[in-house]
Amino acid sequence: MLEDPKLVQDAIKAPVEPALYKPALDSGGARAIPLGRDDGLDRHTRRNLRKEEIEIARQFHGGRMWPYAVAAFGCFALWVSFFPLAIMGYLNLPLACLISCVIATGGYVTSHEAMHSNIARKGEKLRWLNEAVGAVSTIPIVFPFSMARIMHLEHHYHCNDPLKDPDYTDEAPNWWMAIYKTWYNRQPGVDGSIHHYKRILAEMGTPEAQRALKETMLLQLFFMAVLFTMSWNGYAIEAALLWWLPRHVGLSYIRFYLSWAPHHPREGKTGRYENTNLFKSKLGHVMSMGMQYHIIHHMYPGIPNHRTKHAYYAMRHILEARGVDVSPLPPVGGPAVKGS
Amino acid sequence: MENVLKQVFYWMPFFFGIGFIAPLIAQTMNLWHWQAPFGLSTTAFGLIIGGAWGLQTVIRGRWV
Repeated sequence: MLEDPKLVQDAIKAPVEPALYKPALDSGGARAIPLGRDDGLDRHTRRNLRKEEIEIARQFHGGRMWPYAVAAFGCFALWVSFFPLAIMGYLNLPLACLISCVIATGGYVTSHEAMHSNIARKGEKLRWLNEAVGAVSTIPIVFPFSMARIMHLEHHYHCNDPLKDPDYTDEAPNWWMAIYKTWYNRQPGVDGSIHHYKRILAEMGTPEAQRALKETMLLQLFFMAVLFTMSWNGYAIEAALLWWLPRHVGLSYIRFYLSWAPHHPREGKTGRYENTNLFKSKLGHVMSMGMQYHIIHHMYPGIPNHRTKHAYYAMRHILEARGVDVSPLPPVGGPAVKGS
Repeated sequence: MENVLKQVFYWMPFFFGIGFIAPLIAQTMNLWHWQAPFGLSTTAFGLIIGGAWGLQTVIRGRWV
């Protein structure tokens, strides 16, 4: 069993020995131990911190993942049921639109776990469930799982690399420009968002990339076919409020909170402890989909989204020692220093 | 087949204009009891606006 509550508590409460990670200095301020990188730590200290970090992270891997599957299938079934109910006139359309926006946005969270095989890994008995959760979760945003997974893993491999990170096009100087850019990047003639992904997949040229391109095309054609058919049969408003608008709201929300907020500013920040920011969300933990603690996800993608918060507080002292600005999310009960 | 699909996606904003925006405009106008100008039907008005909007998007690459 990976998680032992006592170990976790001990890890959280353990006093941090400054000498463990503070470099020894001589009287003149010069470093007594030759240091390798910019974090001001010597090799020995870095290795010890990394060992401690891995030990803590191990305790937060795994856990109950079935709620993700229930949420994915339940929400997808609810959303699909809206279409016949709307056509039959049994639906409060504004309310259904709001729920569809939540489903479209939240679907990325369940799909995201599947992208990292956190529900079941290759060769495991429930692997099919992992793939099915991924497949249904992003249909409302017309973003096939095959493409989502390849692009997201590329984002992890090349985080903040202007040429190789597929999400680099989300970068913007401030929050309102970031929101504008989520929309701008979806314009047909702009090389951003899914257009950027398509180009990268075409360049990759692998069988998986070809399959992802094909599935993207098919899902987009299906989306258009549904919109056109419903619209010319007198249900254009229903189609707009149940699929077209929730898709746009979801994509913008996801791009803002899962891409821009945790990685801004991107330029030059490609290191393990600098490619993702800690930030204090004005909308809180749930509404920001746990992204305040996204750095934990980038360090350990196998830690499920709902456990990154606890993992953060358990290894906060290590992050601080590695030079991460932890001030936006102080220890529980402490004041927030920085807002974003 | 690949060329056909490329053309379909190239012209997609125009198809979107007449396939979705046009009936959406017409049905919204009908819902709010708005009259189309110049004695046009709401469907014809929707097709003109949706078609023209989609066409300019194909040319400019931007909806707005």
